[in-house]
Amino acid sequence: MTQLPPEVVRIAEDIKEMRIRGAGRIARAGAEALKLAAQKYRGSPSPEDFRRYMERVAHYVVSTRPTAVSLPNAVSFVMKRLREAEGSFRELVATVVAAADEFIETSLRAVETIGRIGARMIKDGETILTHCHSTAAVSVLVAARKMGKEIKVYTTETRPKFQGRITYRQLAEAGVNATQIPDSAVRSVMKRVDKVVVGADTITSDGALINKVGTSQVALAAHEARVRLFVAAETYKFSPASVHGVPVLIEERPPEEVAPRKWLERNPGVKVRNPAFDVTPPEYIDAIITELGVIPPKAAAMVLRELFGYSAEAEKLVLVAVEHDEAGVYY
Amino acid sequence: MTDLAGRMVQLYRIMGSTEAADYALREALGIIKTAGSIDELRKKLASFAADVIKARPTSALMLNTFRDILMALTNLEGVEPAEARRLLAEKVESWIARARESVEKLAEIGARRIPDETRILTHSYSYSVVRTLEKCVAQGKRIEVVVTESRPTGEGLATAETLSSKGIPVTLIVDSAARFIMKDVDLVLMGAEAIAANGAVVNKVGSSLIALAAHEARRRVFIAAGTYKFSVETVFGELVEIPSLPPRAVLSPEEAEKLGDDYKAWFPLMDVTPPEYIDAIITEMGMVAPEAVPLVLRELYGSWPPRLPDIDELLERLSG
Repeated sequence: MTQLPPEVVRIAEDIKEMRIRGAGRIARAGAEALKLAAQKYRGSPSPEDFRRYMERVAHYVVSTRPTAVSLPNAVSFVMKRLREAEGSFRELVATVVAAADEFIETSLRAVETIGRIGARMIKDGETILTHCHSTAAVSVLVAARKMGKEIKVYTTETRPKFQGRITYRQLAEAGVNATQIPDSAVRSVMKRVDKVVVGADTITSDGALINKVGTSQVALAAHEARVRLFVAAETYKFSPASVHGVPVLIEERPPEEVAPRKWLERNPGVKVRNPAFDVTPPEYIDAIITELGVIPPKAAAMVLRELFGYSAEAEKLVLVAVEHDEAGVYY
Repeated sequence: MTDLAGRMVQLYRIMGSTEAADYALREALGIIKTAGSIDELRKKLASFAADVIKARPTSALMLNTFRDILMALTNLEGVEPAEARRLLAEKVESWIARARESVEKLAEIGARRIPDETRILTHSYSYSVVRTLEKCVAQGKRIEVVVTESRPTGEGLATAETLSSKGIPVTLIVDSAARFIMKDVDLVLMGAEAIAANGAVVNKVGSSLIALAAHEARRRVFIAAGTYKFSVETVFGELVEIPSLPPRAVLSPEEAEKLGDDYKAWFPLMDVTPPEYIDAIITEMGMVAPEAVPLVLRELYGSWPPRLPDIDELLERLSG
């Protein structure tokens, strides 16, 4: 067996030890690791040996953070190109390098591209509601402002961690007329809202959105009021594992985020449930804005096919994540 | 913060509307007992009534009790001061007692409607809800309660603390997790600040979102509220005004400083749940559909529409 190059091991360790954080950065690091693995390959120059080696690298990289969606996403993207490619060993190496570069490039520009596309979908004078903090959603709103559109934005506080305050600050700094509301006031405000724009943590192959808890009730209230809802999401948020039936685990976080530690100690009989995410069904989503274009949510399967293919190897790769099964709520 | 704003925050933060009215009625009792002349009694009580109504404008209970007290105040011509004080104190005390008795009665009725082994979702803090749940336990029913923290004022923690101290298993969630948890609960039970002429329920902000999520998940929604929370004013087209708090009343000083002076926020205190998301209102006069509000009002006041004096006119007459 050929040894893995130390550069690849170092990136994998950095991902594993969370020295590399954030969905986008993790994804790009994963692509970079595959690129380096191809370039530093010193084994036999037979295409078959190289393919086997790359499949092994792919499994190794994905296993470093099995719960991060963007990582199998990046790796699957590069590996699909390799699996579909034909030619000599040198040509295959070039394919991997080109695919990794393309992924990294697209991903780096994704937020900006989404902003540009999404901003076109917002009209001058409209009132927008957003939940939590999403770089892609903020990009859409700021881009609309930069196009000279006078928009008003309601941003939720987003308990328990108040990420909505980051959104509020970024919008205010960009000159957007922003107003913060508590999460409980989402339905109160909905009649004054023209459109909702939210980000995504994960999008599954059936078009469901897994995002910060509260998103699904924002979507429900929007649906009730006939307000359109758009999701701003880079394609590395689409879950390749969901194609193969792997459910998404909804992370539950510590009770101290919801109530003060002292209060919890005083009330040992009170349990806290603190889900980080919830699931918004596709019927409450009007469109998903990606860097490749706007799609209806139920076309998520198409994007996933297009980017990652559907093969026995692809299935094996995403199943690496399932080996780390945990108790909890799944979608 | 002005006196009124301070009192408003206090009246909203510490208590449900039943407690707020109880608190106001006890204050009124103090005024009645210490006032000298009839004229002083009339002026002081009218100005206090105006003040508490302004401090909690959404509370139908506050309006209904003080309207009745103000009506009594207008009928004091030729009555000795000592006798007037006795009559008024009796009136106020009867309201305090009536509010309590109504809650006990409706709690008994409500508890009957909740089956054994039920998981109930409630929002914010409501004395009527707490009493109903306590009666469930007294009836030997095994219940579990999920309670939202209820931003911006956070009374959900008081509910959790109260119920947990009575041995009821309680789960606390953030307001955003209501839809997430809805499939795990059997029914929703909430209180009310006011019930409008069409059966719409005014209650702590977030209630309507929870009712909507319950409706979507086909979970029943019950409102525990005595008939004194039925708003007579709305019969004559008055809109219930939804007050909001200034950010500084909601945020801790450290938070306020971090967010800066130009931090723009809207913190409404109440919202309106339409009758179509409510299965029944549990009153001391029985369980009724929200659309049966006119029927209850007719029984309560002897006619439809109820013949009652306008509260603003009463206040004007008494202070003039």
